[in-house]
Amino acid sequence: MTNAFFRWIKHFFRPPQPTRLDLSRRGVILGGVAGLGTALLVRSSALGEGRTFSPTLVRPPCSLPEDDFLSRCIRCGECMKVCPTNAVQPALGEGGIAGLWTPVLNMRLGYCEYECDLCAQVCPTQAIRKMTLKEKQQVKIGLAFFDKNRCLPYAFARTCIVCEEHCPTPKKAIWFQEVQVMTPDGTLTTVKQPRIDPSLCTGCGICENKCPIADRRGVYVTSVGESRNPKNQVLLDSSAGAGYY
Amino acid sequence: MARSKTAWQVWLRRLSQTLFAALFFYLFLQTVYHPVNQAGRGVDLFFHFDPLVLLSSWIASHQVVAALLLSLITLAVTFLFGRWFCGWICPFGAIHNLLTTGRARNAKRRIAGSEYSRWQKSKYYILFALLVACALGLNLTGWFDPFSFLFRGTALLLYPMLDDATKASFGWVYQADPGVGSFKFTTVTEPVYEVLRRHVLATTQPHFTGTLLIALLFAAALLLNLYRGRFWCRYVCPLGALLGVAGKNPLVQIKRNQEACNNCRLCVADCQGGANPDAAGWKPSECFYCWNCHSACPHDAVTFAIHVPGGEQR
Repeated sequence: MTNAFFRWIKHFFRPPQPTRLDLSRRGVILGGVAGLGTALLVRSSALGEGRTFSPTLVRPPCSLPEDDFLSRCIRCGECMKVCPTNAVQPALGEGGIAGLWTPVLNMRLGYCEYECDLCAQVCPTQAIRKMTLKEKQQVKIGLAFFDKNRCLPYAFARTCIVCEEHCPTPKKAIWFQEVQVMTPDGTLTTVKQPRIDPSLCTGCGICENKCPIADRRGVYVTSVGESRNPKNQVLLDSSAGAGYY
Repeated sequence: MARSKTAWQVWLRRLSQTLFAALFFYLFLQTVYHPVNQAGRGVDLFFHFDPLVLLSSWIASHQVVAALLLSLITLAVTFLFGRWFCGWICPFGAIHNLLTTGRARNAKRRIAGSEYSRWQKSKYYILFALLVACALGLNLTGWFDPFSFLFRGTALLLYPMLDDATKASFGWVYQADPGVGSFKFTTVTEPVYEVLRRHVLATTQPHFTGTLLIALLFAAALLLNLYRGRFWCRYVCPLGALLGVAGKNPLVQIKRNQEACNNCRLCVADCQGGANPDAAGWKPSECFYCWNCHSACPHDAVTFAIHVPGGEQR
């Protein structure tokens, strides 16, 4: 009995000719070089962690730091299927070759719902970590910026408070400064100009999503300030993010 | 004894494939927002039983997600009994299987297309390349992992397209409101639509960016079945390669009755994995245990039996 067992194990490592895998040395070397070359190419790319940061590489909340994220994400699309706002999209160029089809948030198509962490719930490899909803609500996905050339109160002296109304944080991350400006017919009027408080903004992107400037929005989210990356921060500013996770 | 009917093992296998494919797509539909911020339970089940995901993420990140340890069951079963997973469980394999059925009727051409080819080794090289890249921290497994490939293709392409087509066609019937006499078609279509809307369709039509590349690769993977049956499984699939390595010495072996066999090679004609069930020498690493060889043999000369490889040497 034990002898048969040992013969069976031995047979696993040295099977007779027809049942062998019979891999060719050339094929194995070629495969190894292909894997090695691709990995080295990607590692040496300028998009690597800590060299440059892609502003459009806005990952779902609770995502791991970029290198850890890429070592786990299998691009299965579970997070893209489950996202209730359709914000999670397959990356094409945002994260370089290594990031092809990994999830990025597109705030024009959707936004990160404050009361939702489904992408983390369904991620099979925990590239997006499971957290309590409370923890997730503290995570910074990125940071919102106003484009003063397009935002209505700045560009056209028109009243608009859509972004502030939608901002989901307990204390709104968008606040107003009342400013006297001139309207096109030459009269002076007071408008509320919106500003971001970077210590409160989580980068959820609902402001960008709901902004009434339909094509290029008057407010937009970039990845800077994301909790997962202590280097991709508004430098010199300790109030913006900097919390690891 | 001439055999004309399909063997019961083949029907059992087809049932298994259907049920697991149904489970895959049921879990796919459950991957949505349920009330109180809850996704369907266990929707990533198939990935947890995927040893390629476990191995690659372990090598690349040096960490193991506890749920992925379930895939050791897959690995252990394959090590003991062979690559049944590909033939009986894998939903992507079932789809390839389905697309393979429409091939040539001519037995000689089928035999020529189903013989073992040394190009089938390419999947092992792909697996090796992926694992080498993983060792350097780059995990590209998702490009080729069958469950990732299928889920991605379904989520980003098939589902949005079906969702759109269903809503548009039922919407058209509702708008045009055709009928025969006093009978209106909507009395039938509207209840059907209501069921689909509740259980299958998306609340809002999903849209995705940059799907052309995914679509081309997905279509290629499916269309290559016309060139070789189960092309993906034979030549590309790194999970199949991993299971092929694990299952290279299984306890379930093909058993050929040399005396009954007249070398007609009909067993090769429908061999899904290109595993050479005939006299050329069976390849356990390529065999999906689909039992087509057993079913096709007119002389009942091929079957599978428990047998300890190497055990016969005294």
